[in-house]
Amino acid sequence: MQEALFVLLNGLVYGLLLFMLSSGLTLIVGMMGVLNFAHASFYMLGAYFAYTISVGLGFWPALIAAPLLVGVLGVAVERYGLRAVHRHGKLAELLFTVGLAFIIGEIVPLIWGRSAVPYRVPALLDFPAFTLGGIQYQAYRLFMMAVSVAIFAGLYAALARTRLGLVIRAALTHPDMVAMLGHDVPRVFTLVFGAGCALAGLAGVIGGNAFTTTPGMAEALGAIVFAVVIMGGLGSIPGALIASLAIGLIQTVSITLDMPLGAMLGHIGLPLDPHGALGQITIAHAAPAVPYLMLVLVLALHPRGLMGARAD
Amino acid sequence: MSQPATTLAATKSRHARQGGLKIALVFGLAIVVALIAPHLFASGFGLSLLNRMAIAIVFALSFNMLLGQGGMLDFGHAVFFGLGGFATMHLLKWVDGGLPLPVALLPLAGALGGAFVAVPAGWISTRREGTAFAMITLGIAELAVALVVMIPQWFGGEEGVSGDRSGGMPLFGFDFGAASQIYYVLAFWALIAAALMWGVTRTPLGRLANAVRDNPLRVDFLGYDPARIRFLTFILSGFFAGIAGGMQALNDEILTVSNIGSQASGAVLLMTYIGGVGTFSGPIIGAVLITLLQMALGTLTDAWQLYSGLIFVAMVLWAPGGISGIIRSHAPILRGGLGGRLLAAYLALLPAALVTLAGIIGLAELAYRLQAVRGGGKPGHLFGLAVSPTTPWQWLIPLALFLFGAALLSRLAPGARAAWQEAAAFAAGRRGR
Amino acid sequence: MTSALSLRGLYKSFGPTSILRDISLDIAAGTRHTIIGPNGAGKSTLFHLITGRLRLDRGEVWLAGENITGLSPHAIFRRGLARSFQVTSLFPRLSVFENLRIAGMRNAGCGHAFWRRLDGFAELAEQVEEMLTLLELGPRRDVAADALAYAEQRALEIGLALVGGAHTILLDEPTAGMSRAETERTVTLLRRLSAGRTLVMIEHDLSVVFDLADTITVLADGGVIASGPPASVRGDARVRAAYLGAAAEVLT
Ligand SMILES: Nc1ncnc2c1ncn2[C@@H]1O[C@H](COP(=O)(O)OP(=O)(O)O)[C@@H](O)[C@H]1O
Ligand SMILES: [Mg+2]
Repeated sequence: MQEALFVLLNGLVYGLLLFMLSSGLTLIVGMMGVLNFAHASFYMLGAYFAYTISVGLGFWPALIAAPLLVGVLGVAVERYGLRAVHRHGKLAELLFTVGLAFIIGEIVPLIWGRSAVPYRVPALLDFPAFTLGGIQYQAYRLFMMAVSVAIFAGLYAALARTRLGLVIRAALTHPDMVAMLGHDVPRVFTLVFGAGCALAGLAGVIGGNAFTTTPGMAEALGAIVFAVVIMGGLGSIPGALIASLAIGLIQTVSITLDMPLGAMLGHIGLPLDPHGALGQITIAHAAPAVPYLMLVLVLALHPRGLMGARAD
Repeated sequence: MSQPATTLAATKSRHARQGGLKIALVFGLAIVVALIAPHLFASGFGLSLLNRMAIAIVFALSFNMLLGQGGMLDFGHAVFFGLGGFATMHLLKWVDGGLPLPVALLPLAGALGGAFVAVPAGWISTRREGTAFAMITLGIAELAVALVVMIPQWFGGEEGVSGDRSGGMPLFGFDFGAASQIYYVLAFWALIAAALMWGVTRTPLGRLANAVRDNPLRVDFLGYDPARIRFLTFILSGFFAGIAGGMQALNDEILTVSNIGSQASGAVLLMTYIGGVGTFSGPIIGAVLITLLQMALGTLTDAWQLYSGLIFVAMVLWAPGGISGIIRSHAPILRGGLGGRLLAAYLALLPAALVTLAGIIGLAELAYRLQAVRGGGKPGHLFGLAVSPTTPWQWLIPLALFLFGAALLSRLAPGARAAWQEAAAFAAGRRGR
Repeated sequence: MTSALSLRGLYKSFGPTSILRDISLDIAAGTRHTIIGPNGAGKSTLFHLITGRLRLDRGEVWLAGENITGLSPHAIFRRGLARSFQVTSLFPRLSVFENLRIAGMRNAGCGHAFWRRLDGFAELAEQVEEMLTLLELGPRRDVAADALAYAEQRALEIGLALVGGAHTILLDEPTAGMSRAETERTVTLLRRLSAGRTLVMIEHDLSVVFDLADTITVLADGGVIASGPPASVRGDARVRAAYLGAAAEVLT
């Protein structure tokens, strides 16, 4: 029973981390219609920056500085890259970010090496917060949850209460209208893009040490984040939250289920040869496919995603 | 002003005839090139290069059927390539086991495999367009890779599946075991597939794909369901990607998960885009060029991946039409006899461009060698000089070259651009008169 | 006989804003019908509802005796209804000829064929050449649509609706932004090509309206305030008061 609770807690942490990543991307997609393919690369940069800063100054300065650095990088990318390709259309913008992700993926191992860097959880939070049935739960994980929830709340409040938030929300659904009302949409774009990247960076700072910081981390998470954003519905923050939590929980839970498909389907009366190629697959084996299976299922039933706002 | 309808129609049919003649000429030339090439590049490296080019051409053309002609960016195109390849490979193993089929026909199995997989994938993805379509294909690609890894009984797990192409029924006395023999099989399929794909661009569905790329909404109000057009185009594209995968299976005699993964999908995007998505020939140019560069530079430098990424981004930023786009925008100028003047303007850019390039290469090579040194390797030579990436001042030279060259380029580029615009306008004016 | 187009109690709101309320209208086959009304009255929205671009909240649309409510735009087109757009909507990278040919493909029986040459549909090509001449776009045949001048694009926009041979044609402000001479040529063209078909158009230019229309509908404040032959609409007090106002001299 306690084990199940731990699995659920871990799924929740993972889901919230996914949300932190996808919230920034959702903002960018919703407003600009650009799916930033390099979003997970900014997540990776956040983790590596945090590692380098924490070696010199410790974790807490890194928590502030690394996301800011990533945000500044994002602003530069938007200002000098995306804006230049904008006139060539949506596809060109997407392709630009594809190339960017590729280049970042090449440069990171050049600087920090091909294997994982020892980016560790700060000593202050590296203690068991509570013990359930003999299993310890690390305080840092609770901290991660707190940060994610704070971001969701902060984002929600900022979008609902501030003037900029009002413009952003309007731009999510009616970008042309907002431009016509005389708002400096390009500037808002740059800001949103930078903020989205900074959010990804922050996710990197607090996710990089909870999991591992390696040059492969962007690719591993990138596709999942896109699955979240598409599944939730392009541009929908609540959709992204639901999809993140669903994927986080279901994937984490499925890793722990090692009953073969053949046996399991046998229980519910579906015949599948338990010794055949498909029958031997366990749910745990299938865990990497889970987010994409969910994506395909959701899209088959609901082409626009769970709470899709934008058509493109 | 307007000509009488009859002469207009007559002109048109003459145009059509001339167009047909031109196509026949181009295709004939392609056959001649395909027949001569293996004699010019008869070495093992040369043949292997040609074989890879043949495969890449078909794969890139099938990719551009979606991207260039249909406006669909497929991030998982290697799924159809790879699964088509696996289909071919399994059939090849049966052939090895005694199934009486000539090996040369097997790419057809790849085609059917590719199309078969494209049906469910397309059914999910083509209901959306643009960015959403692209992202869904990425999800489908990840799903396919995960499934392939999950079922080692079918896909061979880490080692993949291998077969022996010389084990089949000989055709005209050839068993296709040698690279020089399989070349003709691959060249045959490349020519057939390219001709068929060119043909598709001239059909109702081909034209409708262009229409959906340009304005799907309007298509809907002209009696066609844009999603249906995307779906059919997607299946056709999967069919041809599957042929390429089948060719790959015959050439390599082994297929692994990496053949369906993101690297392979990224490679075809790279070739197609750099060659140019706006013309039929663009992907062919890209496939030939990138395969050549990859095989030549891939062994020469570790930085090849980085270079290809940089070339790609540079193309997206400054030459979105790719190489064929550059050629097309200069063709009227050259025909108008204005090439000389433009060449002078471009030559003025050359020194700055070379300096910038030297700087970029220097920086990249130093970085990769620093990594090698850290791993206990040797730094080696660059431009004939011994390099020592741990010495800080050695970094300053390429950095200075890069900064100086880039500054110079940004000063000179507007002039060259203006010269091009002037020449293009002049050439257009001449033609208009 | 059945009407070409019959609207029965249409309602449409965008969020809380009600745009159209209880619109009912019958348009006789083979007639030319014009819809007029102030900007923002909901005329284009009405076209969107008829052609399946927007979903209606309530009501039914019947085309030649068949209920087409809720069908997709392409399904409606296949039942014989073609339309043009107020905001020009072409295939920018394709030539004028190809633009028109695409518009004619469905009714020429091209289907989704990928095994037949498009050039092999000779009758379609002839039809398109004819339309090119009628639109006076012959010399611009091979120019990409986005390289055309504005008036040429407007002409092509109309051509896309006309070329397929649909029996009912909806044109949304076909003459908007055209010069006097261009407008007159368009009116001649429409008169000629609407023979034997039903034409429904939204039009601001009252001289065009009274020149072409067999019947007129006035849309204002979300409802039909008058509908009938020009003479009766001209004399309607509510129309004068609600819509025509300053333009009333034109009518007298
Ligand atoms: N998609 C939409 N969302 C919200 N309001 C809309 C939308 N489309 C049109 N409207 C509003 O509906 C009203 C009618 O518009 P429209 O049908 O274009 O008018 P008309 O063509 O008569 O000038 C206008 O007030 C317009 O602002
Ligand atoms: Mg209107």
